[in-house]
Amino acid sequence: MSAMDPAAAAEYAERAAAAIGLPLDPARVPAVAQQLAGLLAAAALVLDFPLPEDVEPAPVFEP
Amino acid sequence: MTTDAVGIAGAVRERRLSARDAVEEALTRIAARDRELNCFTAVLGESARRDAAAVDARIAAGEDPGPLAGAPFAVKNLFDVAGLTTLAGSRINADRPPATRDAAPVAALRRAGAVLVGALNMDEYAFGFTTENTHYGPTRNPRDPERVAGGSSGGSGAAVAAGLVPLALGSDTNGSIRVPASLCGVFGLKPTYGRISRRGTALFAGSFDHVGPLARSTRDLAAALDAMQGPDPADPVASRRAASPTRGEVSRGIAGLRVAVAGEHFARGGEPEVFAAVAEVARALDARGTVSLPEPQRARAAAMVITAAEGGQLHLPDLRARPNDFDPMTRDRFLAGALLPAGVYLAAQRFRSWYRARVREIFERVDVLLAPTTPYTAPRIGQDRILVGGVEVLARGTLGLYTQPLSFIGLPVISVPVHRAGRLPLGVQLVGAPFRESTLLRVAAFLEERGVIAAPIA
Repeated sequence: MSAMDPAAAAEYAERAAAAIGLPLDPARVPAVAQQLAGLLAAAALVLDFPLPEDVEPAPVFEP
Repeated sequence: MTTDAVGIAGAVRERRLSARDAVEEALTRIAARDRELNCFTAVLGESARRDAAAVDARIAAGEDPGPLAGAPFAVKNLFDVAGLTTLAGSRINADRPPATRDAAPVAALRRAGAVLVGALNMDEYAFGFTTENTHYGPTRNPRDPERVAGGSSGGSGAAVAAGLVPLALGSDTNGSIRVPASLCGVFGLKPTYGRISRRGTALFAGSFDHVGPLARSTRDLAAALDAMQGPDPADPVASRRAASPTRGEVSRGIAGLRVAVAGEHFARGGEPEVFAAVAEVARALDARGTVSLPEPQRARAAAMVITAAEGGQLHLPDLRARPNDFDPMTRDRFLAGALLPAGVYLAAQRFRSWYRARVREIFERVDVLLAPTTPYTAPRIGQDRILVGGVEVLARGTLGLYTQPLSFIGLPVISVPVHRAGRLPLGVQLVGAPFRESTLLRVAAFLEERGVIAAPIA
């Protein structure tokens, strides 16, 4: 995965915000998109690393 | 406070000093210095004097006043303090009613006889490494007031470094105890995830949230840990392990301990003086081997993803309803975190399990790892970018380069202060296997006794 370009990050931010009912001030979109692109670049480092199927998260939940 | 918390408590218990005088001295120092440093968001003079008088009364009545009797302490303002609104560095939470009871760690220190004198400044909702809080102003580094104190527990680091209190509590999700400890030149303990209850503290990213002490001596870290550690059903991630006191272990020396230096990721990306500080500590411990952690840069990336997702989700109602009330220093990062797709969060959590298993293998061969705490000394307040080895990096976020891959899997870490004449201080991380804080305390005590590390008052 390569880094998201600013326009694509802005478009994703606006659509994802709409999908979860989060109003996003248009003036704020470029800065949020920049942060999001940084996070998605970090996420790509994780997604690109193959993990065996039996590796589970370790949540703490006791019924 | 010219002595540490255990020293004050010893004097109080032996009636060489009254708790009232100890607390009065702290309040006097706060009044003299805090206008400049901006560590405190609340000073509790009245209740502190009353609590100190109660300690003195217990001693007069022949009762045991506790191991930290009369020692003044202060807490990052994300800890609930009965009667005080828990700000968590925000303006939003200032609208909430006062807390009705103390957070578990605050109550534990009070039971040990320590006297709470106030609440301390932090980055909004703990999402930062510099305590440049727009609502409450930046906390200044007592070793150079033009520089940041580190964060997010910056008020805690600066208050201890300036001798306003000998002991403070902070929280650490990605480095928020260790970074200010490094930049302010004090000791900071991030205990094993789950070792100290977080009940009554404002969460940030629950997967990594820890609480712990900052102090000017190893024995104070041990005393504070012993007062606070142990199971608590009210914290869903608290360990069920019975408390295991560390205080008696501290002076056991380091014979037989296997110490190695963390290589690769932890040996690049910082200023040369940072690695010189690690080498100095390694020399004192006769540590010759180098160990490589697997995929630390992916660990740091996964930590960032989980932190942003959990923090963004936690604050989503306020991000929807009143985004303009957030600190501009945190707002866009919380918004971005709230928009992350679920899959990347799960991938990061699965990676965390994999990484934990690999690092556990390393701790079968090694007892203590050495790593830098921060890649450079304290940046200037307002500084956005910094040159590291000729390369420009973001001055704030990069402060977590070496701390994030460790808190990611909840390992216990002490950041110890290396002081160089005429230079700003730097921390070195002593990293241990889960629940082996006592080993780290032994190493810190050894280094302190040898004069390799120290936390003089600024």
